[in-house]
Amino acid sequence: MESSVYLEKIAIAPPTAKIYQRLGFKKKTTQLSASKQKETDGYIEEAVSLILLQGSFLRLSIDNNDGKSITFSGGLKFASAKLSAFLRDCMEAALLGATAGNAIMKAIVEKTSQGNLTAAVVYDATASEMTDAALDWIMDYLNQLIRREGKTLLPRRFSAGYADFDLKNQKAIYQKLQMEKIGVTITDKFILLPEKSVTAVCGICG
Amino acid sequence: MTNGKIKNLLTKKIVILDGATGTELQKKGMPAGACPESWCLENPQVIKDIHVSYQQAGAQIVYTCTFGANRFKLQQYGVKDNVHQVNRKLAQLAKQACGKKTLVAGDIGPTGLFIEPFGKLPFEEAVDAFKEQVRGLIDGGCDLIVIETMIDIQETRAALLAVKEIKDIFTIVSMTYEEDAHTLSGTDPVSALITLQSLGADAVGCNCSTGPEKMVDLIAAMKPYATVPLTAKPNAGVPRLENGKTVFDMEAKAFAAFGRKLAAAGANMLGGCCGTTPEHIKKLAQITAGIKPKPPLIKSISALSSARRFLLLDKNKPLFIVGERINPTGKKALQQELMEGKTSLIRQMALEQEKQGASLLDINIGQPGIDEVKTIKTVVGLLSTVSRLPLVIDSSRIETIEAALRLYPGRMLINSISGETQKMVRLLPLAAKYGAMFILLPLTKGEIPQTAKKREMVIKNIFAKAKTFGLTKDNFVVDCLVMAVASDFKAAKETLATLKWCEEIFNSKTILGLSNVSFGMPGRPWLNAAFLAMAQYLGLTMAIANPASTEIMNIKMAGEVLTSKDRAAQSFIEYFSAPAAGSNPAAAKALTLEEKITGAIVEGNRENITNLIKTALSSGSSALEIVNKVMIPAIVSVGSLYEKKIYFLPQLMAAAETMKSGIDYLDPYLKKVSAANKGKIILATVEGDIHDIGKNIVALLLKNYGYNVIDLGKDVSSHAIIEIAKKENPDVIGLSALMTTTMVNMKEVITLARATGVKTDFLIGGAVVTDAYAQSIGAYYAKDGVEAVKVVDKLIKK
Repeated sequence: MESSVYLEKIAIAPPTAKIYQRLGFKKKTTQLSASKQKETDGYIEEAVSLILLQGSFLRLSIDNNDGKSITFSGGLKFASAKLSAFLRDCMEAALLGATAGNAIMKAIVEKTSQGNLTAAVVYDATASEMTDAALDWIMDYLNQLIRREGKTLLPRRFSAGYADFDLKNQKAIYQKLQMEKIGVTITDKFILLPEKSVTAVCGICG
Repeated sequence: MTNGKIKNLLTKKIVILDGATGTELQKKGMPAGACPESWCLENPQVIKDIHVSYQQAGAQIVYTCTFGANRFKLQQYGVKDNVHQVNRKLAQLAKQACGKKTLVAGDIGPTGLFIEPFGKLPFEEAVDAFKEQVRGLIDGGCDLIVIETMIDIQETRAALLAVKEIKDIFTIVSMTYEEDAHTLSGTDPVSALITLQSLGADAVGCNCSTGPEKMVDLIAAMKPYATVPLTAKPNAGVPRLENGKTVFDMEAKAFAAFGRKLAAAGANMLGGCCGTTPEHIKKLAQITAGIKPKPPLIKSISALSSARRFLLLDKNKPLFIVGERINPTGKKALQQELMEGKTSLIRQMALEQEKQGASLLDINIGQPGIDEVKTIKTVVGLLSTVSRLPLVIDSSRIETIEAALRLYPGRMLINSISGETQKMVRLLPLAAKYGAMFILLPLTKGEIPQTAKKREMVIKNIFAKAKTFGLTKDNFVVDCLVMAVASDFKAAKETLATLKWCEEIFNSKTILGLSNVSFGMPGRPWLNAAFLAMAQYLGLTMAIANPASTEIMNIKMAGEVLTSKDRAAQSFIEYFSAPAAGSNPAAAKALTLEEKITGAIVEGNRENITNLIKTALSSGSSALEIVNKVMIPAIVSVGSLYEKKIYFLPQLMAAAETMKSGIDYLDPYLKKVSAANKGKIILATVEGDIHDIGKNIVALLLKNYGYNVIDLGKDVSSHAIIEIAKKENPDVIGLSALMTTTMVNMKEVITLARATGVKTDFLIGGAVVTDAYAQSIGAYYAKDGVEAVKVVDKLIKK
């Protein structure tokens, strides 16, 4: 089962509470007038209308996990003790990718150049949280698919660039997921473009 | 067993369905990663034994092991067998195992793909794929079909249509809901129920995802609106991981105990999903034996749905506004857009109308020179994803209406079906097939009945014809025909008389196309609004209108209070109490000019600041005084509010932008008095990093505090930063990085600076940067923009 599944329109409600939190809102401390809340909610709404969440995932069986590196079916190998530990109970894993698309990034640049940084920061936070929520959604979806096989995803995921899982591994994940099909490119410094794009690895147990 | 016999069984007892197949197969040796369908065909006795074990446990219906036996899923496993054959053989195995005593349901699961408009798989291709499976199941002898574990309402519709287009066979449709009582695609159980039962599902329900406890709530939510029996097939609790293994640990006894609660909530068929065993089903059968099932509470329902919302057309509900703007008549820009195959205006109109208070959207794309069927598919696809509102398909062409009905992932309203025989005979069957509601238009033979009495006759005739297709009064709303008072001064009275008759005698829902009444008259908004008020009093259900009209929306809100549909006037009070954004007249009147400028900055009121500064200048204040004595203290107080978390980032930004507008206005005055810059700062996001929102925030704040900021942008090389530093001789260089991998480039910049004789202080910041890291590379650190200003202040003063 080694072909990526593409999700062309991930429809999720904006995680408003998380967006507010990302912007520094503290429930019991921050004082927000009705008009400022309306303005912020309006920017979130605008951002949502510009975000096109797309994603992909790929299931790979784990051929070897020696505690220092991990080898997947097809020969993909990551040298990372932390990732190996994370996947120690799994015979299989899933590579995950998601993007918020180009339109929102263009809008952030446009708002910044127009001097409306208020809109830009809200757009930015909305895009970040929605991209993250898209990965959550893909995990929920994948969980639905594998439940019938008596399997479950680990509740957390692991991304290249964290701990000893070098960012350069993002290129292999990107290539395996063929994220160019959902409009994502990768720089020679292993950064995904559009900026609000993410990848991760998650374990499948059961 | 005929459909009638299954329905009869459902009136007598809680029908018991089987439990999990997948987990049972694994227990009996199916290896991980195997295709269950293929494995069962290779090990027929195993699946037959599982069927028998559920039969013996008390299941009256067992499911075939064909959950993934569609062409897409089988292809994923590399199974090349004929889809029809796989389904037929597995159905035959179930029939052989169960004999005549137990019913066999042909099981259809999701394809794993998303269907248009939510995905790329064409709707008709999905329908075809399901048909392939259905034919095999029926040829294998299945007594009924079950479509289960669906997360996408559109895929569910495709599967249900596939079944119903092949055979009128009893079909259970079951979706799977998350903890938040929505499918992963965002559909709630009542919207799904309304869509699916109107499309011909014989039973609707839920399975998988949650344990039985949550499912009680789902069944209870659906029951009041269900015209069909309800099913529940929960997991044996919520799965959890134990030593890397997935465990469902709700014991059979505890699981079965929920059988009573589910039956009490209104479930008519009960079984088990993942993790359940024959023991769970046995206990469930025992505990529910003798419980009298609750039949559906209603026989038909006046309700519409989208993929994410439903609308109950209840007489006690407030008036529904059908947004009329998506119609190219008289709208050149929309006409042009439709000709070019674009949809951005339609999207905008939909979102605006939703915001303005429309409950439904009327969609009319009729204009010469376009392929209407192709266009309506695009528009319905677009609006299904961007708007939560149910749609009204408004077309004079039957092909256009059919294309919309087939594709729309909800229950649509057809605008309209008149008494013209040609249209009735083609449109009424379509309304019945797709479960759509329709607007009954009392026209016949191209004539408009002038009086209410004549209209009543036409309405009765159309209704009589509709009944022959199984349609009831709940399936339509009557258009009482609004004619222009300019050409017939009695027109409005006849319309209102028709409305009164519909409401009081005929007992149907009603709709008016409001604006026709004022055609050719001056003061149209007032005629429309007065007419609406009169119709509201008579009980009008919905009005086709422009929700941007203040008169219409204000009268609607007022009318709802006066007709007791807005209990305690809550909506009215909320609607009319909302202050205009940014206005605070009470606070404004007693303030001095300086306080007003301070207030504008603190509140981030960008609109007022320039006028206030102009006034301050004309009243004798100098630019420097305004900046130093009023504006700087104001922005400092905003910084303090931000540090204390009383403000969050958008408030800080709004204040900073207001300040910047003021400073920009004062700039020429400040230059005249040679107001010194506080210092020169270079800012850059380091090489390899493309994240610059944080750096942009720091730049704006520093500018507000009087610093000359040279912003080099993002992904800037060390050499470029140092070259410019040598040329500009800044007081401080600020570097930003978001990632651990790019953070190291900060050190490279500083090393290069020192190596080339640049002694300028460095300030660094970014999500992963810490004070310790800053110290380790010989830089200063600021955690956010407000702190960055303070650090720069200190560095310049030192």
